[in-house]
Amino acid sequence: MQDAIRGFIALAGQVGLNFDFLASPFELRMWLDGMGTTLVLVALTLPLSLAGGVVLAAALTSGRPWLAGPARAYVELTRNTPTLVQLMFTVLVVNMLISQALGGAQNNPFGAYFWLVAVVSLHVAAFHAEALRGGIEAVPAATVEAARGLGFSRLEVLRVVELPLALRTALPAIVNNLVNLVKLTTIGYAVAVNEITYASLMIWTQRDNVVELMIVLLLFFSLINLAVARIGAFVERRLAVPGFGQ
Amino acid sequence: MTASALPSRLSAAPLLLAVTACGAVALWLALDPSLGRLLLEWLPYLARGFAMNILISVLAMALGTLAGIVLGAMELAPVRLVRAAAIAYVQVFRNAPHLVLIFATTYIFPFEIVAFGHYVPFPDWVKAVIGLAIPASAHTAEITRGALQSIPTPQWDAAKGLGFSRIEALRFIILPQCLRRALPPWMNLYASICMGTALASLVGVHELLHAATDASTAVSRTDFTVLTYVTVLFAFFLFCYPVSRLTQRLERRLAR
Repeated sequence: MQDAIRGFIALAGQVGLNFDFLASPFELRMWLDGMGTTLVLVALTLPLSLAGGVVLAAALTSGRPWLAGPARAYVELTRNTPTLVQLMFTVLVVNMLISQALGGAQNNPFGAYFWLVAVVSLHVAAFHAEALRGGIEAVPAATVEAARGLGFSRLEVLRVVELPLALRTALPAIVNNLVNLVKLTTIGYAVAVNEITYASLMIWTQRDNVVELMIVLLLFFSLINLAVARIGAFVERRLAVPGFGQ
Repeated sequence: MTASALPSRLSAAPLLLAVTACGAVALWLALDPSLGRLLLEWLPYLARGFAMNILISVLAMALGTLAGIVLGAMELAPVRLVRAAAIAYVQVFRNAPHLVLIFATTYIFPFEIVAFGHYVPFPDWVKAVIGLAIPASAHTAEITRGALQSIPTPQWDAAKGLGFSRIEALRFIILPQCLRRALPPWMNLYASICMGTALASLVGVHELLHAATDASTAVSRTDFTVLTYVTVLFAFFLFCYPVSRLTQRLERRLAR
């Protein structure tokens, strides 16, 4: 392993790329931890955003003003303000108020990592909700009425009729949102969560090898997003109902 | 339940939220006049910060649109090498986080340029403009490509028959027709780039979020900090929400 790393450093050096930091166990560890943290963040926020999206879409299409109104207000507020500002707002304002209410930061169970996961997943959930709402509204009224006529409750209609159909129409938009979610995890840098951008910055401020790490960063995110897009396309094909949509 | 009736009825909700929030803030300021005076004192400072956000977003979008239209046309070019290069650029930079690209331009570009023996400073905000223009160009390229492909191919043949070269046909016949279809996604992109300008605060550009941090540190009062960040949220909301409403209206008109 050590030899392979040394070989790679020498090879990169020949084409003028400085990957010397790989020889330092400390920096290598930090860098790999950063990649791991980004992947864990994606693995956490992705299902959370989908769950939040379904709940919000259900509220938006419930037809009950007291449920749909706040959901609509939340969706519009989230979609039209920067995620970074939302994150700073929660970390600097909401978190501070919680700390004060609990009598000191030491009693506050929430940290920067919690707020990062919460803000990113709820932000993307608003975008999922809009996509799903469009899909739910596109379900023919006759289909819904038929299900109601068969004795399905409102929630059952949503679960077994509307959502499965809406998911199929909304899937391309949802995959797009998930690509965005992967990119959004980088704002963890602002609250010192050691994800890959933060780890890279720590290394290049010491080593002055921005270009080298930037190449890896771009490849890293391209690969994750390529995987997300491929999986999305696969799910889309698997779920496709012949004769529906298109 | 008709699809068009529901959103228009529910669109009152954000307005209601805005009114309630403004009312709550007004009440709060009335209860504590010193807070209102502080906010009034810092408002011009915050406004100058927000002007920087708008400047960065407009310049980044202008640059990105020009480059993106060329790239989008290149993605459909008859020469294979040109096509491959454009597609690779779009793929990499569409998938790259905005923050990473802002870091790239900030740390890779020099802080000053030597031009004719003079040292011209290369300010951070210009680097942020370029950092956001890169993803803007990649997204505009995709929008352009999609719009170009939506124009029926016989139009190209007809243009050729009228003696237009391929580039002339693109410039005078195809692109103008693309405008209608490309406008809504392009406006969505503008809103996204505008919100991306907040990231510039992380590389030290003096924009709204940065100004808010300055203000709350200088005053160092809990209630003022809360109020300042609420102001920041609302500044972005008031700027981006009309854009997104207009986009939805255009989309609906186009769908009809």
